[in-house]
Amino acid sequence: MSCDPSNCKCPPTPEVNRRSFLRSSAVLTAGIAALAASLAPLRELTDATTMEQFLQKHYKELDKAEMAKVLDRITRDVERQYQVRPHVADYKPMDGVEFVYCLNLTRCIGCRKCVHACVAENNQSRDPEIQYIRVLKMPHGSLDMEKGDHNYATDKVPEKGFFYMPVQCQQCKNPACVKVCPVKATWQEPDGITVIDYDWCIGCRYCEAACPYFARRFNWTKPSLPKDRINLNMSYLGNRPRRQGVMEKCHFCIQRTRAGRYPACLEVCPAGARKFGNVLDPDSEVAYILRTKRVFIQLKEEFGTSPRFFYYFDV
Amino acid sequence: MNLLVLAFLSLALGFIFNLWGHPAKNEPIPLVDLKFTETNTARMSASDLIRTGGDTSGLECYACHDKKVAIKLKFDAENNVILPKEHEDIVMGHGSHKRNNNCFNCHDETNLELLQTRDGRQVKISESTQLCGSCHGPTYRDWEAGVHGRTSGYWKRDMGPIDRKGCASCHNPHSPPFPGRQPAPGPHALHPVTAPVTTHE
Repeated sequence: MSCDPSNCKCPPTPEVNRRSFLRSSAVLTAGIAALAASLAPLRELTDATTMEQFLQKHYKELDKAEMAKVLDRITRDVERQYQVRPHVADYKPMDGVEFVYCLNLTRCIGCRKCVHACVAENNQSRDPEIQYIRVLKMPHGSLDMEKGDHNYATDKVPEKGFFYMPVQCQQCKNPACVKVCPVKATWQEPDGITVIDYDWCIGCRYCEAACPYFARRFNWTKPSLPKDRINLNMSYLGNRPRRQGVMEKCHFCIQRTRAGRYPACLEVCPAGARKFGNVLDPDSEVAYILRTKRVFIQLKEEFGTSPRFFYYFDV
Repeated sequence: MNLLVLAFLSLALGFIFNLWGHPAKNEPIPLVDLKFTETNTARMSASDLIRTGGDTSGLECYACHDKKVAIKLKFDAENNVILPKEHEDIVMGHGSHKRNNNCFNCHDETNLELLQTRDGRQVKISESTQLCGSCHGPTYRDWEAGVHGRTSGYWKRDMGPIDRKGCASCHNPHSPPFPGRQPAPGPHALHPVTAPVTTHE
């Protein structure tokens, strides 16, 4: 703006004097103080991401030596946080294996033991509570999930007139959750397990919204895991303790099943309603079930997700 | 200007002393009872008892019975077997319509420490699965395939053993249907469920 000083109609330039300077400095200082005070909760942030973790490559790009380093870092992290020394490994899929789960709706008695065996095996947060399995109490004569109730609290199960349907990650052949992940932090492994790299997840929760089975859970706060209940047999893609702000879900107990063992939910079932195995092996239990039993094909078949989790009936 | 300073300072004080307080915390969730994560079977069968070295005195029939005296069963007016005082703990609940009311449908009359299958074979009490299979054919076939009943251990047989349980490890032979049991606690909702969820239309 140019001004002719002789004929000036512009407002006079405000003069900075001592009073106005002190005043605006006071406002500025108070403002900064208020801002700083409002950020005080950040002081409680203890488990910030380390540079090592920040610079870590994607799971699929890690070579053996790098993976060994990562596993060592996780071991140290767990030791620092929980004062126990875990055994952390990275179990790889086996050749010629595709996992399938079969659940007998005739046998399930709705005791919810699978829910808690899963929590214990997979180091889920106890408070707030994260559970991978929901047991739906359903009235006889319907498979309408809208009629299911997972909050039942009766003295005794099973109740007359109801059957029970546990729902967990269906390990789909065509998983909606994998498609929506913007950072490829979740993917399907060759043995059919959809896994999550907890170090790569950004916590956008798209996968939670995409899943038609309510299988994915989000860590809203730092998970609370009592030291005496921690499972020390850990795997990178499986049950190692999670951070705040990442997704998790059932991974067919990767640390057990890729070592040849049955999942925890199967071993705890008092009714023997849960069956698991390699569907590519014709002598496996699951192959026998799919061949001979009345299999209610797949849950929410119409979505085209093609689950590897089958519900079936005796008779 | 002065007002602004005052407002900022009071905000700063408010934040520092946390005048608004923390958001109300939910009730702490109690840790689940460890009995709900135990992998034991619903009951102990005779073979489990022998294998684990438990008290097998209940299997020694001839500690009380006499080998030479044949046993006569007594029935009441409704054709139910009358159990003697010593066997009062037995619940006769095998089969519907009270038709399976005879002890010697399964137990061997000539040797009480044995069982007798439908096709006349004598089997030990610890091998009762053979006896069950002589009536429950399709279920026995499923059990042999590993599809009925409890399994634990290794799905991949060359990596470790599989542990298969017999019929009596879960079912009470005298009353096979599963008795009702207390369910483990359900999910703790973030916001308490106020109205009970109904499943009726």
